[in-house]
Amino acid sequence: MAMVVAAAVFLRWLPHHGWFVGTLVGGAIIAALAIYLTQKRRFHKAVRGINQDTMPPNIRSMAAVAASVVILAVLGIYTVLFLPVQP
Amino acid sequence: MTEDSNTGEPDARNRFTSRILRGGTEPDPRFTLANERTFLAWIRTSLALLAGGVAVEAFMAALLGPELRKTIAVLLLVLALVIGGGSFFRWLNVERAMRSKTPLPLPLMAPVLAIGGALVAAIMVVFVIARPA
Repeated sequence: MAMVVAAAVFLRWLPHHGWFVGTLVGGAIIAALAIYLTQKRRFHKAVRGINQDTMPPNIRSMAAVAASVVILAVLGIYTVLFLPVQP
Repeated sequence: MTEDSNTGEPDARNRFTSRILRGGTEPDPRFTLANERTFLAWIRTSLALLAGGVAVEAFMAALLGPELRKTIAVLLLVLALVIGGGSFFRWLNVERAMRSKTPLPLPLMAPVLAIGGALVAAIMVVFVIARPA
């Protein structure tokens, strides 16, 4: 949900910075969609882990979420510093 | 399936996870889930800072000059970057500490967030006071 909100805020940049911001919006939407679609599987894994009293941590998911936020931030900084504002 | 080096029991983790989180014993799953929730809270904070940075750049054109606006936006976006990246390493270090039953590491991101937030607030206070009515 927070990713979707971030994507919605990025939309405000579209008229000022052009198509490049579309990649930020698209990236945030894809990340949000991936999280949403895998939610049920992760929930069941957590329930099974609590039942069996052992649950391996999901490093890949954590790394993917952190990486997507870092990439969005880097692209945001690039947009502010290097992309000219379109009239 | 590999074997847990400490207990000799079969290791339910995949090879990648076993390589990153070596040794120790599997912590209580509730602690693993609590660690995950804390990580997600940091990610939400990071996304809020990201949205804040974009909002300052996009919505405050009438109020702030271009240089000040750019400075505040970049500061917020850098904070989002540091907290987003740092949250993963914090999660990993806490997971390692729980596995080896050692004290949890100090949260270094908390002072970074406090100092960064205070800096942005201070810039805004100075701007509001110095701005001609």
